[in-house]
Order: sequence, then structure tokens, then C-alpha cells
Amino acid sequence: MIKQTKLYFAAAVVAAMGISSMASAHERFVLPSHTVLSSESTQFVTLTSSISNDIFHPDRPLGNNEKGIDSGELAPLFNVLQTKVTSPDGQLTDSIQWQAFHRLSVADVELQKTGTYRIAIVQPDIAMTTYKDAKQAYQRKFGKNPTLPSDATDIVRRTTASSVATYISLNQPSKLAPTGSGLELSGDTHPNDLFVAESASFQLLFDGKPSDENTLVKVIKGGTRHRNYRAETIVQLDKEGRFEWTPAESGFYLLVAEKEVKVQQPAEVDVKHFSLNLTLEVFAE
Amino acid sequence: MKKILFIALTVLPAMLWLKPVDATEVVIDINVPEIDSSPYHRPYIAVWLETPKRKGVHTFAFWKEQEEWFKDLRQWWRKIGRANTPNFDSVSGPTRKPGEYQLTWDGTLSNGQKVSPGEYVLHFESVREQGSREYLRQPITIAENKTQTFTLQGKQELGLISISVK
Repeated sequence: MIKQTKLYFAAAVVAAMGISSMASAHERFVLPSHTVLSSESTQFVTLTSSISNDIFHPDRPLGNNEKGIDSGELAPLFNVLQTKVTSPDGQLTDSIQWQAFHRLSVADVELQKTGTYRIAIVQPDIAMTTYKDAKQAYQRKFGKNPTLPSDATDIVRRTTASSVATYISLNQPSKLAPTGSGLELSGDTHPNDLFVAESASFQLLFDGKPSDENTLVKVIKGGTRHRNYRAETIVQLDKEGRFEWTPAESGFYLLVAEKEVKVQQPAEVDVKHFSLNLTLEVFAE
Repeated sequence: MKKILFIALTVLPAMLWLKPVDATEVVIDINVPEIDSSPYHRPYIAVWLETPKRKGVHTFAFWKEQEEWFKDLRQWWRKIGRANTPNFDSVSGPTRKPGEYQLTWDGTLSNGQKVSPGEYVLHFESVREQGSREYLRQPITIAENKTQTFTLQGKQELGLISISVK
């Protein structure tokens, strides 16, 4: 899709500006080759990841462990990303090695144990300040306490943190304990047990506790490049972050959740922003 | 001159027979709709004329930002844009905010010649980053004594479009 900025690092980070303060710049995703596997022996799943507004069609790489192309302007972002794999027994590893190509990043994940694995590309807090310049145009600068023009107004000191995640199950799925950090999916329905026309019950957690209705959640079916109507479905959460979702079609979906937290002052930051970009696979009835 | 022509065409239709062949006037009012979206990016929009056999004739408007995304105006880019991009300086400009815009065309092609009378199709295409895409068409006739008006209603990325052909 169309992009208005070349500053990918800037654009890749949340742009909480403009009409809504919940605005994010470009979507990110990790797409697993398989989400449901059956085998008595070790299985591999190949992951692709990208920063792209065309859902599941890649545009820019997301992650590089010095195996791929020169990351260029994305290098500062890749340097702070951490890819965390949680295995069914709750063990956390960072064994995934991303190889960046010009349009996407690729990695293998090895599944040895029965149960559910969580893959998450985690971006810790990145500091950013947004402000209005003398022409009333929104601007932003990265880093802590950047030098701003003397006539800057509407100054907001922010941090953005994100998780780009998916779940994969080998044999019998299992329930993973929440990490307790940022936005996460929980609830009665297992994310690897989604079927068309079956209602799924989910709950969003924030820092390990039920999130609330002030969490923006949208679901987008993959393949936006090949349809005219983007069809982003806004999902309303209840006060405990619960929601029901009944997918109408099979395929891969991207669930995007965002939350802003105002920080009690005095503090170094005014607003903290969190996002979760979760890939879900839905099978036909 | 334009004003006189306008009077000649609207107030004194009986005098239309005096109109020279080359006095084509196409007026397009186009609405760029307000869209409640977060984030909102202004749409890339192209308005152009083709023959019924899909040969590009003339681009009236091409509102864009960066070259890398011209291709996302999929119809325009393939049918006329990629072959003639340098010729659009007079009609191209930055993306527009939601609102009403008027395009007028006197039938002059980018090579300076007047369009030949005949059957044509107007094309409207709009595409928005992290938004949807819309594509509308309207067949028109360019000929003497053939005044036509049309309205098209977009559903996503285009609003009401009013077309007047004289």
C-alpha cells in the first residue's frame, strides 16, 4: 500500500499522532508456514516476518541476525528487537536467527515437544517525543529528551513497545502462562483451534491482568492486496478485555491490539503505548 | 473567452450550432470523502480518459506523494500512468484532504492537439494507505451538440462525482 514516509524506522514505530492518539504507522506480522502439526518426531516451521501494510504480503524485512542483507535504516530497530520462543513447558529461548531479505525476513523454528509454542518478536520501549511545530504540523523525534524547536507546542513524551506474535501447536495444544508483559491473548479458546463459523472466546491481558474496554482491537483477514475493501473489523472489548470473534472465512488473520497508558506525573514519560500484532489461522469447517 | 463560451453553451443553447468542433468542455466535481480511520492517510487519486477499447487518452488529475506507490493506482498505472508519467506535471499534485474539488478540461491533449469526437470512458481511481481502494467508470460521448450530465456515487474511497460534458 501507499506510504507517505521513507523513514522506515520512524514509520515502523508507532506514530501516535493526528486524529487519533491510538494511531499506528505500519503493520508488522510474523507468518508461520504451519500452525497445527502432528508428529512423534521433531518438526520445523518456517517463519516469515515483515513490516507491511499489505497483510501477509511482505514489503520490508522485520528482524536480522547479521545473516541477511545490510539492514540499512532498519538496523537500529533490528538491534533492539528480541525474538522470544516459549516452548510448551514454559521455557524461553532466543534461538531464532532471522535472515533479512529486501522484502522480508525468514527464520526456522524447531518444535521438539508436544504442545503450544509462542513466537514473539518483542520491541522494548522506544522513546519518542511528539509535538506541533510553528505551522501546527505534528512532528516527532526519537530518543529521550530530544532537542525541540523553541516554539514547539503540544509536547508529549512517549514510549512505544510492541509484540509481533503467533502460536504453533505440535500434537495436543497446551495453555501457555502469560508473560505478564504488555498486551497478550488469553481466554477460553485456544488460538490454534479456530474454525469458520465457530465463536472464539478471547481475553486480552495487559501486564498479565485483564485489559479493559479502552483497548483498540481490530482483525484483518490476510490478502488485502488482492481486494478493494480492506475490511478491518473493529472488535469491542468488555470491561475485562473479553471478546467473542466468529470468523466468516478460513485463512490467516492479523489481530492488532493497541493500548495507551497515561503515566502519572512527575515522570520521564507522559504516555506509554503498547501494541500486539498476532497472527491467527482459521480453518474451514 | 471561457465565460463567453459558457454563456453560449448554457444560456443560448439555440446558438450551439455556432460552437466550433474543438470547444469541448468537461467539468468534473469530485468529492474526497471524510473517512473515520486511524491512522488516516490522504488517498492517491487519478482521474483519466480512455477509449472504449481501454487505450489511455488523457489524465485530468493525478494526486500523489511518492513514486514507489504510484503502482497502487492499479488501473491508472497500467493503462496510462507508467507509459506517460513525465507528462502529468500539469495535472499532478500532492494528495488532497477530504473535500470538494473541481476539474475542468477543454479537450486539449498533452501533445497540444484537441481530442477527436467519439466515444470515451472516464475513469476514477482512489487508493488509501491502510485503507480501501475504489474504481468507478462512466462512458461519455465527445461530440458537437451532445451535452451530457452524469453522477456517480462512490462507496468507499470516493464520494459523489458529478460530470458535465459539452
